[in-house]
Parts: sequence; C-alpha cells; structure tokens
Amino acid sequence: MAPTAKKKVALKNTVPSDIDLVEWYYEQGFSDGLPVVPPTPGKIAAMLKELGDVTESAVCRVPPRWGTLTTEVLAINLVMAGCKPEYARVVRAALVALTDNAFNLNGVQATTHMASPLLVVNGPVRGEIGMNSGYNTFGSGNRANATIGRAVRMVLLNVGGAWPGDLDKSTLGSPAKYAYCIAENEEESPFVPYHVDKGFDSSESTVFAMAAEPPHSITNHVADDPEGVLESVCSAMSTFAHNNAVSGGHCAIVLGPEHAKTISSKGWSRSDTRNFLWMHSGNRFGDIAFNHRYGKIYNRNLPKWYKRGIEDRIPIVSSPDHIHLFVAGGEAGRFSAFIPGWGHMTNPVLRSISGLPAATTATLCDDEACQY
Amino acid sequence: MTSEETTQQQAVYDPRGEAEVDLVPLSTRPKSLLHLRLAVLDNTKWNAGKLLRKTMSKLDEEFSFESINYYKKESFSKVASAPLLAEIAEHNDIAITAIGD
Repeated sequence: MAPTAKKKVALKNTVPSDIDLVEWYYEQGFSDGLPVVPPTPGKIAAMLKELGDVTESAVCRVPPRWGTLTTEVLAINLVMAGCKPEYARVVRAALVALTDNAFNLNGVQATTHMASPLLVVNGPVRGEIGMNSGYNTFGSGNRANATIGRAVRMVLLNVGGAWPGDLDKSTLGSPAKYAYCIAENEEESPFVPYHVDKGFDSSESTVFAMAAEPPHSITNHVADDPEGVLESVCSAMSTFAHNNAVSGGHCAIVLGPEHAKTISSKGWSRSDTRNFLWMHSGNRFGDIAFNHRYGKIYNRNLPKWYKRGIEDRIPIVSSPDHIHLFVAGGEAGRFSAFIPGWGHMTNPVLRSISGLPAATTATLCDDEACQY
Repeated sequence: MTSEETTQQQAVYDPRGEAEVDLVPLSTRPKSLLHLRLAVLDNTKWNAGKLLRKTMSKLDEEFSFESINYYKKESFSKVASAPLLAEIAEHNDIAITAIGD
C-alpha cells in the first residue's frame, strides 16, 4: 500500500492583537476575493452548536485537493462567509450533496467550463431563515441567499483547493462562482414544490444541487397561453453553444411566477411543461457537428441511441426528466431563465436538509436527480 | 503602554482542513523505447485524440514498437478506472496520454 502523507494543519493560532484580521486572511489566501468575517471562538462555538457540537466528525472530503471538511472547519468557513448559525444546516446539506460521487465535484471544480454548483432550496427552511425567493432572487440583497452560496464557495476554495489557475482551470469562470443559491417561490408557484414533485413531504426541506452555467434570461411579454411562453423557453434552449447541446446531461428552467401562472391557467402541469420543452427544443445534428467541415463528427458524449444524420433532431437533454423546473422570482414581470448544465459528466443531487442520512453513492442517478 | 498590553494576542484560524494524499512513486523509466509495447490512453477529448494519434504515429516511426494498444477512458471528466489502469500496466511497457480541450 502506498504511504500516506498527512499534512497537519494547525487549526488555531494566534497573532498580535494589533493585526488587522481582514487583511491577515487576505494575506493567507483564505478569501474568495471579498473581505471575510474574522472567526472568533464565540462565533465558531455558535456555529458548532447548530451543527451538533461535534468538532472532529468529518462532513465530507472536498476535491480536487481532497481536504477533510470536519464540522469545525465547516464552522470556520461559515463564519468567514458571514452566515448566521441557522444557515449552517443548509450549507452542510449542500456540501454533502456536492460531494456525492454522482455529482463528480472533482470534475466540476477543475473543468475549463464555467460551471458552478447551483443550489435551490425548498421547504419550510426558506422562511425560517429568511431566504429570498422573490424579486432579484438570483441577485444581491439577501443575507441568507448570499452567504449560504458564499460559504459553499469558501469551502470549495479553502478545503477543495479550487483556486483559479491552480486546481480550478475554468477559462472564464462566472459570477456564480461567488454565490449561486436561490429558493423556490413555493407561495407564488401554481405547481407543487419541486421537492414534493420528487417525492419529499412538503414539511421537509431540501437542497437541490446542479453544476450549472449562470441564468440566461427569457423574455415573453406577449403570449397568454402555455405554448407561446414555452416557445420562448425553447428558443433559449435551442442553441448549440452550451454544453447541454453537445454533451447532454441536465438543465434547469426557472419560470417567473407570471409565466408559470400563464402556463398553469390552461391546466398544464409541471410534467406537461417539461414534456413540451423537451419535445420542441433541440438542434439539427448537422449544426452541432458543423456539418462535418472540421472532420467527421460522431460525438460520443451524446447517447448512442440518437440518430446522427445531418437533419436529425438532437434534444437538448436526453429526457424530460433531465429538465429541472422551478418557479422563482417576483410576482410581477414576464421573465424566466434557462440554466444550462455542465453536461453528461455530472448528475444533480437532491438532498434532505433535516434528515441528513449518511452520504452514499447513488446507483439510480443516471436518469434522474439523485435523491436522499 | 505596558509590555503585557503589547504582547496581547488574538486567535486566527486555518479554514483549509487537512488533506491526506497517497504518495505514488514514479515508475522506473526504460533506458530505450525501441520495440516496447506502447499503451495510448485517450481521454476522449477531440483535440487530445488528434494530438495522441499524431504523437503515436511519430513515435512508432522512430522506435518501431512491438505493439500499440489504444485505450479510452470512460469520460474525460473522470479518472481512468482501476481495472483499465491494471490492464494497461499488465499488457504494456510504457504509456502516453494527452490533455487537450
């Protein structure tokens, strides 16, 4: 057996009291680029209390550095990100989801693509901790959304080692690599909540994690029927520039409440909507193969059962079940968003926040979001 | 200001956690490449494949390999599986791979 090198890290140290700690953490390279909240024994203890007061227990190992995320290390990062203690269970569930083998975090962290984990929270925890699922849900202005997303990123950087140019090789990155966390607007949605549709009880809270590009805006101020609204969504989906088009996998649609209500007003369900989107989006194979002008292209990243004639239709993802449909945003405004995924190399994971069963390698993740 | 005041300390924390890694030594390098069995591991990327095929051809012209065995990873985004690595080690003397996006 190969020898094991264990790099011992002194978790706690001291510096003279006149040192500016914000600057000290910058100098150590422990920041995402924004100022961090310097951890104190009291702040860390408050986080640990929320996490069960078990300092040494491992939450997960975070690639590509494969650092061990103990509860105490998680608490330190939570404080640094500016989280309130009550956010801790959401961040922990998200990190357990992200380190599920099915998610392939190692690939997501290191890829040249701009993918970053998108988190969507469902259930009562949204209201309990004051998440924003309404106006500007993807944007700034809400502490829970911002610091939960930021805490996950801090762990991906500090424990996972995904420092730009070092282990994170993303050519461009994206603003979503600061924070990318929203909540579904269950109150304004005409559909059952996403997690209930996936079999969870409405009293449970969940976090959905998917490797994703930033949101692409979809505007439609004209249509007053499902087909019209969804034709705009299909248009946003049907380019061959994003990874889903050439590599399949999963994608997400976030319907603004107005669009969702227009769709629902004609009796369409979440499933009807996903089926329509799957059936009426896609590209010609000739387009994604550049009509073979750079050499004969088969594209083994797409399912083998796709026909590959020049005029054959290539779906954006291989099944309607790979389109993850949420409702979020403010109640006024006829906008929605398409969120392409990273491709077939990753599977989304949907995880309970309250139950926290042990992380396992899912075996049924290839065709649906993995669920625990 | 007293000396006690000037030496007051404040706590700082390392947020990285410990990393455990397996140390894998490099294989012994052959003295010559002539007539060896070459493994080519394709990471399934379009450009990496082109680079590998060209490299394979150039090397073969120079070193007249006894055999060239071509392997593909399951996906460019995942590490090569243990069975695949074992097969490569069993049937080959040297291996090349390429990273191309």
